[in-house]
Amino acid sequence: MKLPDDTDLVTRFKDGDLSAFEQVVLKYQDRIYTLCRYMLYNAEDAPDAAQDVFLKAYGGLKAYRPDASLYTWLYRITVNTCLDYGKKSRPEHCADTSAFDNLASSQPSPERLYQSKETGRLIEGCLRKLPGKLRAAIVLKEIEGLSYEEIAHALGTSVGTVKSRISRAREEMRRRLQKDA
Amino acid sequence: MRCSQIRKMISPYVDDDLTPDELNVFTSHVHECQACKEELEETQTVHRLFASAVGFEAPPGFATRVMAHLERTEETGLSRLRCLFTGRPFFLRTAEIAFALVIVLIGMISGNLLVADRTSVRQPTVQTSFSLDLFQATPTDSVAGIYMRLAENGGEE
Repeated sequence: MKLPDDTDLVTRFKDGDLSAFEQVVLKYQDRIYTLCRYMLYNAEDAPDAAQDVFLKAYGGLKAYRPDASLYTWLYRITVNTCLDYGKKSRPEHCADTSAFDNLASSQPSPERLYQSKETGRLIEGCLRKLPGKLRAAIVLKEIEGLSYEEIAHALGTSVGTVKSRISRAREEMRRRLQKDA
Repeated sequence: MRCSQIRKMISPYVDDDLTPDELNVFTSHVHECQACKEELEETQTVHRLFASAVGFEAPPGFATRVMAHLERTEETGLSRLRCLFTGRPFFLRTAEIAFALVIVLIGMISGNLLVADRTSVRQPTVQTSFSLDLFQATPTDSVAGIYMRLAENGGEE
């Protein structure tokens, strides 16, 4: 089934069609939820955070101007919402560290860790230890597959800053994986 | 080129963001420098880790919950608006309506006076404005009128 076009959805929403907004939610809910899962310290906050993102989007969509894609605009709201959630909660240390330790004992090299079923949890664990802004940049690049320009727009910063943050995030993650393996 | 400079190029290399000249310098250095080569391989491993990371599905019924929340919020907004008119005691609402009517009345009177001041060329006298020229102190059919006529005619009637 072909997904509805964003421009049409926004136009219909601005004309008062509430079902158009529901289609926006259905179209982007998985991507927004995934971003929340990787951005937040506490995975159980992800459903509430994702819901907050769409409630904020509903409030702001009438003023939205399509100078950037709708999903970049939604990502911007998501990153800001998750950074706000991050201020309320502290990073977890125990839950994912145990997964690290188990993997480290049986699979010593990062190359073999990559093949493990625990990859998702491993990445989540590593990401949660990164500062919020580095985490946002690397998640948008590596998991969401955005370009530098799109990330810059989503984070409200320059392309140069985005490149720098991605580089630092990779370096930080490389060190952590090396240390834990 | 020094290793510290080459290491800054690792991330752009992973993203295919090096210029052809930078790429030549980078690859030739990494080919010869074991430490930089290891760091590159580890960074590529991190990159591949992400590539194998799973995407998550939103919880079942997520969109329905969002829409229900929005409808509740809209409904609450309307209720608050209704409360402005219906949620207060009767005497308070009556007083508000009376106050509003007085304000409207004052506005109408002052407006009329202002318009009259500006539009009337000839100011009416007090006599004409209250029709004093038609005023009779003792109308003919009244008791006082009959008395006055009798007094004038010397009681002939």
